[in-house]
Amino acid sequence: MSTVAERAAARKRALIAEKAFDELDDRLGTSKWLRNAMDKIFPDHWSFMVGEIAMYSFLILVVTGIYLALFYSPSSAIVVYHGPYKPLDGQSMTQAYESTVNLSFSVRAGLVMRQAHHWAALIFLAAIVVHMCRVFFTGAFRKPRELNWTIGVTLLLIAMLEGFSGYSLPDDLLSGSGLRVVFSIIQSVPFVGVWLAFTLWGGPFPGSSAFFSRLFVIHEFLFPLLLAGLLGAHLAILWHQKHTDFPGPGKTERNIVGSRLWPQYAVKSGSLLMFIAAVIFGLGGFVQINPIWVYGPFSAARASAGTQPDWYVGWLDGALRLWPHWEFRSLGHEIANPFFPGILLPGIVFAVIYAWPAIDRRLFNDHEEHNLLDRPRDKPLRTAIGVAALFFFADLTLASATDLIGNGLNISFELLIEILQYGSFVAPIIAGFVAYHVCLLLQRTAAHPIQRPVGGIIVRDAKGAFHTLGYEHAHGGNGHGGNGHGGNGHDAGPAEADAEEGARSWPAGQHGAGASAGPGGG
Amino acid sequence: METLRPGPAEGERVAEPPAASFPRVVTGTHGPEEGAGLGTPWPDDVPPDQDDTWYPLKDDPYKARRMEYIIASLWAVTGGCGIGLMIAYWTGGQAQVEGALLAAAFGCLGAGLLLWAKFLLPGQGDIVGSRGEHHSSPEERAAVVASLSRGTDAMLSRRGFLVKKVLVPVGGIFGIAALWPIASLGPRYGRFLYHTAWYPGARLVDQFGKPVLASDVEVDGIMTVFPEGHTDTDIPANAMSPAVLINIGGDTIVERKLNEGFEVRYGGNGLVCFSKICTHAGCAVSLFNVLSMQLVCPCHQSTFDILEDCKPVFGPAPRPLPQLPLGVSPDGYLFARSDFVEPVGPGFWDRGGPA
Amino acid sequence: MSWLRATRLALARGRLAGPAALVAVSVAVFSTLAWALPAPAQPKGAQPAQRSMEAAGVTASQAAGTVPVSTSPAEVTAGELLYDDHCESCHGVGGVGAKGPELLDVGPAAVDFFLSTGRMPLNSPTAEPRPGPPYFNKKQIAEIVAYINFVDVSHGTPGVGIPEVAPACARQTANCPTLSEGNELFLMNCAQCHDASGAGGMLSHGYVVPSLRQATKTQIAEAVRVGPRPMPNFGPGQLTDQQVSAIADYVYYISHAKNRGGFGIANFGPVPEGFVAIIFGLGLLLIVSRVIGNRG
Repeated sequence: MSTVAERAAARKRALIAEKAFDELDDRLGTSKWLRNAMDKIFPDHWSFMVGEIAMYSFLILVVTGIYLALFYSPSSAIVVYHGPYKPLDGQSMTQAYESTVNLSFSVRAGLVMRQAHHWAALIFLAAIVVHMCRVFFTGAFRKPRELNWTIGVTLLLIAMLEGFSGYSLPDDLLSGSGLRVVFSIIQSVPFVGVWLAFTLWGGPFPGSSAFFSRLFVIHEFLFPLLLAGLLGAHLAILWHQKHTDFPGPGKTERNIVGSRLWPQYAVKSGSLLMFIAAVIFGLGGFVQINPIWVYGPFSAARASAGTQPDWYVGWLDGALRLWPHWEFRSLGHEIANPFFPGILLPGIVFAVIYAWPAIDRRLFNDHEEHNLLDRPRDKPLRTAIGVAALFFFADLTLASATDLIGNGLNISFELLIEILQYGSFVAPIIAGFVAYHVCLLLQRTAAHPIQRPVGGIIVRDAKGAFHTLGYEHAHGGNGHGGNGHGGNGHDAGPAEADAEEGARSWPAGQHGAGASAGPGGG
Repeated sequence: METLRPGPAEGERVAEPPAASFPRVVTGTHGPEEGAGLGTPWPDDVPPDQDDTWYPLKDDPYKARRMEYIIASLWAVTGGCGIGLMIAYWTGGQAQVEGALLAAAFGCLGAGLLLWAKFLLPGQGDIVGSRGEHHSSPEERAAVVASLSRGTDAMLSRRGFLVKKVLVPVGGIFGIAALWPIASLGPRYGRFLYHTAWYPGARLVDQFGKPVLASDVEVDGIMTVFPEGHTDTDIPANAMSPAVLINIGGDTIVERKLNEGFEVRYGGNGLVCFSKICTHAGCAVSLFNVLSMQLVCPCHQSTFDILEDCKPVFGPAPRPLPQLPLGVSPDGYLFARSDFVEPVGPGFWDRGGPA
Repeated sequence: MSWLRATRLALARGRLAGPAALVAVSVAVFSTLAWALPAPAQPKGAQPAQRSMEAAGVTASQAAGTVPVSTSPAEVTAGELLYDDHCESCHGVGGVGAKGPELLDVGPAAVDFFLSTGRMPLNSPTAEPRPGPPYFNKKQIAEIVAYINFVDVSHGTPGVGIPEVAPACARQTANCPTLSEGNELFLMNCAQCHDASGAGGMLSHGYVVPSLRQATKTQIAEAVRVGPRPMPNFGPGQLTDQQVSAIADYVYYISHAKNRGGFGIANFGPVPEGFVAIIFGLGLLLIVSRVIGNRG
């Protein structure tokens, strides 16, 4: 209970705030917008925070990146190293590499910032992928959010390129090998491949003396601008359309249930930012990542075992290892081998991902607006396809580590590669099949796996037999996977008929025989 | 219509919100509707009144005070870590110490904020609002079409030929003209990919520039070699030149005839020399499996059979490694009798042409 | 109610079961990884192979950059007895070869290397030699080395001598290798098989390239000179004794230097790093999200 003093203080604060808002409103007319903003309701299921993890990782990337950029030198000029790291003493190297080694050993807090920056990048992409999966499996990309899906996939693409360009900046042996491979992939494009590769690099590999400053501009300026801009658009659309939410008691397609932005959601979001910073800087201090001083400066005559890209490019590297040695030559021209796994495969993959909202509409014949999410089990076909895709990418990612897996498990990489080649289409098929049937199984149990079951609807037919309808859930025609009720062969009950717009509440209290007594038994 | 669970009577407070995840219905201040402005009626499935000032410890000042102390001590740890960071930086810095202090600082800050939000701040997770209407009305939609047509009807119907027949083609021409300079962005690559820095008579040298004698590499030995004077692979002209010199001893090697009828022999003394640039994606190939006489590339595990003229026997590499024809000078030094007879490295569109 | 009681109640109601399980699984997975993957080796005492020479009373001289092998008849005889008991069944009487290869020209370096790294004796003739704990102690190794050396010298093919590794100098002079020289040689000649950090790799046909992080300087130098198959050999024409010393010094240095960035996670590069980022980094943050957000 508030005291007199507390109430007086609150009144004084309100007066100050009133004056401040008035001044602002006189100039910009902001009061209405600010009130709407502060009162805005955000559904706060924990899985909705994964996108925020990505966003805050990006913020930390920008902050640590600025620090690194103050010390990094994007120059191909050759210098001789004379610093504290003895094994490199007296060696010639590019200034890019030397500045990174100095950043790691001679700049205070340089190593922590560099490592935190790299860990943040890995977590950034992991969060984007998990967020994308969450959106996919819950159907949040459906109308009216297709545009946000497109923006999000573009964010993923640019983030991958941004990460690749970032870890290539130090010009060490590991990342230089990656640049060599990408140069070869671009070179393999028919007609314009060589021209394109030479243009990007400013000449034949390893590129002109301007290459690293060019890469630096791309990594420091072009991609971050695009990322920030697209991220802003992504958030603005989300703001305008309001976030989706899982179905639950009291939730409809027309209302939104959650926390107010001010103070609840803002402070919780701030705490998430702090925890993300804690994890990233903790990793940055305690777990070594990309020790460029061990790899040495890049040389086209050197290579190291265990040459893999960062995890988010691993699927492409694995594709290059798994792809058979096909090359097509005729009439004096050839389509070189890296073209297929390096250009064609990711092209098709991203085309499908971009087109998914349209595919989904076709697949489920669903052109309506949705603000309530599906649970993955509600759309077994979509979930199965998603799981199959994940297993495909996992197979390819495993393939990028065949030499390490072979070393660890004492299996030849020939055997591993062969297994993974077959696995790249066998594993997704099997996984998709299993996922499909697990969804149907879960639908039958009718309860959220972690929450308390609220009870099923039991109906007695004319012959006296009892049938379980599952839970009442007027979630459109496909609420039960389009097969009716799995296993029981029973027709959709009366609850299914109630698919009117707006009345998508759960449970539909006025229908059904054993209409659940409402949550909490009220 | 759902059955709304009636909440406690006015003035009566419960210690915890009801266990059911259902919007609380408590009299109090009117919660404004989302985005539609004050005064607009609520949709009828949403309760009209919500208390926007309630938080879990509102009625328990003792517990609230204790929670404040917990948060304050967490934030005190953050402050301590800040001082620690200053000291660490001042004394030269150390990655693990800095990382630990930063992690602890941010972690305690976040934990304090979280406890604050969960227990001491209102606006908790059961506030209900209306999504409002984000579509425009049918009148607005008709009006926007009318606004557009105001221009397009005039532009295209009566003066159609100005836009369709003049502006579009001219714009197309100018667009192409604007893009034309892109062609000069990249250097002309000419015959670059067809030649390396090797030339007839070029001596083989090791990575430090020391010329290689024919007797240097022992049987089952491998050495990375460069053309004399071209050991710096940062220079693009040298980057495709590295080669591996292998001593295969008494084993015989299969000679491969290329499509164009070139014949490549090995240089005698058991010495053979192949390009180190993988024909798959350009990494340096030099893993030497002596037992199976194979060269393996570490990047994608392409495997080349040395005795079959480095033909690829496993992995994605599509073509054999080109061979460098060797000669031995009278004083015992190795030299190249010519450049590689085919383009080295990964494939490209025009590679099928003559060298 | 107190937060402690609330926690216990929530646990009893199963509400914390999810996050608790996630925490337990992450901790279990990460600890297993940390335990299973080799951490950077800690500095050991004097090298066993060198001790075997010292124990045998042999003094190191500077002759030809190799460590001289004892020629005392007592040691040679003791070595012959050991050889007859453990090696003759595969390598034949007097080293002429049988199921295993002949030893008439291998030299003391090869014998010392294979025995001190535990690759020999093999349990069966068809097994692949793998590094492990040595079967013989240092004195016995010295005796067998002395015997085979005697056999080889008698045959007229003395083979590769045990290289003497000179310690690294700060500045390069004649006969004094630097770490920088070793770094350049290692990265050009060795890293493609053994990994830039010396963690090992993979060859074709299922041959595992071993990690160098537990090897002694002498063992590294011996391997470079001998070329234990499937590894190639690097003779004196290709690498001088100083260069071999440089490589051995450098490998020892990176195997024992503290990882500046923290925990090395097996020093294998981006693959374990990605694993840590996803499972540990993002996993931890998902647990945090679970605590912050609602579960409904």
